[in-house]
Amino acid sequence: MTASPTPLLAINDLHVSVEGKQILNGLTLQVRVGEVHAIMGPNGSGKSTLAHVLAGRPGYEITAGTVSYEGCDLLALAPEERARQGVFLGFQYPVEIPGVNNVYLLKAAVNAVRKQRGLPEVDAFEFLGLVREKMKLMHIEDSFLSRGVNEGFSGGEKKRNEVLQMLVLEPRLAILDETDSGLDIDALKVVAGGVNSLRSPERACVLVTHYQRLLEYVVPDIVHVLVRGRIARRGDRTLALELERRGYDWVTEEAA
Amino acid sequence: MSTPLTARIVEEHANAFRALPLAGAAATRRRTALAALTASGLPTSRDENWKYANLRPLERLRFIPAPAAQPLAATDLPAAIPGFARYVFVDGAFAPALSAALHSTAAAVTPLAAAPDGDRAPAAMPAQTPAPHAPADERFALLNEAFATDGAAIRVAAHHDEPVRLELVFVASADALTGASYPRVELHLDSQAQLLLIERHMSAGAQASFVNSAVTVDLGRGATLHHYRLQELAARATVFDTLIATVARDACYRLYGISIGAQSARSTLAVRLAGERADLTLAVVALGDRQQVQDIFARVEHAAPGARTEQIFRGISAGRARVAFNGKIVVGSEAHGTDSRQSLRGLLAGPEAEIDVRPQLEIYTDEVRCSHGATVGKLDESMLFYLLSRGLEPEVAQRLLKWVFLEDVVAKIGVAELRRQIEERLAQQVPEPAARAEST
Repeated sequence: MTASPTPLLAINDLHVSVEGKQILNGLTLQVRVGEVHAIMGPNGSGKSTLAHVLAGRPGYEITAGTVSYEGCDLLALAPEERARQGVFLGFQYPVEIPGVNNVYLLKAAVNAVRKQRGLPEVDAFEFLGLVREKMKLMHIEDSFLSRGVNEGFSGGEKKRNEVLQMLVLEPRLAILDETDSGLDIDALKVVAGGVNSLRSPERACVLVTHYQRLLEYVVPDIVHVLVRGRIARRGDRTLALELERRGYDWVTEEAA
Repeated sequence: MSTPLTARIVEEHANAFRALPLAGAAATRRRTALAALTASGLPTSRDENWKYANLRPLERLRFIPAPAAQPLAATDLPAAIPGFARYVFVDGAFAPALSAALHSTAAAVTPLAAAPDGDRAPAAMPAQTPAPHAPADERFALLNEAFATDGAAIRVAAHHDEPVRLELVFVASADALTGASYPRVELHLDSQAQLLLIERHMSAGAQASFVNSAVTVDLGRGATLHHYRLQELAARATVFDTLIATVARDACYRLYGISIGAQSARSTLAVRLAGERADLTLAVVALGDRQQVQDIFARVEHAAPGARTEQIFRGISAGRARVAFNGKIVVGSEAHGTDSRQSLRGLLAGPEAEIDVRPQLEIYTDEVRCSHGATVGKLDESMLFYLLSRGLEPEVAQRLLKWVFLEDVVAKIGVAELRRQIEERLAQQVPEPAARAEST
């Protein structure tokens, strides 16, 4: 045992299937506060399934294993309860919801967390000030606030909006599911800047990604390689560079 | 056809009008309508396009026009819409004391009971009156023609300033056992005329009223009509509604219907795009709850080249309600260059609720662009999860998404105060999450 505190997130021997097909096969992973983890892996290795299971998306069957968050059983919580406890999922494909404007969603989300903590609703004026400040950081225009959630946004705008929501909500555990995919280099830097601004000794971040490109800007403490539903290898950031150079085949072969 | 029902209609008609003989053209029209109705009978559930309607109440109710109603107070009515003249009809009869007359040189509204025949809007010309062999879909309009004693004849002339703004409020107060309410509108827009028209059907009190409304719309060349219809009758009411419209060349008709009230509601909308480049938007919201029946049949006929139709339906069925929208678009052989789009969506909000959406296309020419989409389902699960993953209560998220669903139609209502009233009314059935649309 080391002297470090209880992990923020402890996944132990997690088995998950979707429509009878086994996707995660005994995945074990621990994330401590202050850490940034990258979960890499070839397509179909179970990266997005892991992100969805942690956020509580319906349709996944957990056949074995446990997930604890702040020492409690995360899997026993409904998706909205997880969010209110400080778990945030940045979607790979953010959903468009025309008719619900962005500022409404941001405010409802913040107030849900505040209610959980026994705090009064946020002051509307101060809140807008805060949101505008974060929008500037994410290079998002003012008109965005009154538009429908992700309505008509480009791929890059949607990803920046996910990070904006994360910055406004200040989660304890942020899980970003391929937030870097489909971004050009400028947008990637903006997104990375947003993620870095949230790094702190009280929080942790799990970056799910296929490429190491994002990791040049958000330097991870630990890199995991997921193969066929379990962690096949772990290392520091140099592992990501090695994957970039050699591809995934060698890890897959080693894991076989 | 002579069924016990039509025999009873004829008998009640004779009793009702023995004491109130009409002279001239009005009497002729009434007799013609009755004869046509006797010959063909009212539709039955075996008729195409009527299988979802609830026709059973017809066996019980009375067809004679309701006797004069107790006077209502202005406070029984919805808040006035700024800028709109208001004409109120109680059980089909004009109530001047509750009305605020139109002051416009461009338009005239004449209560039909007071109108000499010569002044009646040409909307009542034979071409607009259902023919003796009217299709089943239009026979409730014959019933209205045979029994209506009043209504609004509206004529709007071309003018250069703002569109004319007019609200018609039809209030039902009588119980169906004492008599029926026959709202009637005969509307004619001259070439280039513009009108914003609100048409409401509501109840005073909780009587199980029988309402049979008939509206004819005649849009001249280049005319523009924005027509907002709100059906919010009391929970035990029965309503049949027939709207027959003709749209001339370059005219634009925006028809928005919100159907929320009544135990049993059937609306028949028949629009003929008669002239080139006629432009129609037909957007309907229907909500059903408890054991309500909301049945809408919309038939759009493209009879000229280059016309455009956008048909939108959003329905939510909860409780043990049945909600149906049957949207038919007929593209005639002359109507090349037609552009029609249908987006019909239904939402099931309960395990015992029923919803049917049916797009139908009949195309008799080439070179047309017709698209249609029809879906029935539950709330979008990926939207729902997205909202939950941001910490929203499931109930709030679900309500929000029901509003999003209705917004496709409601957001198009261009009269701010009316939209506010409609949203308030919708919120009684689909509670609205606080500050949903809060602006920055």
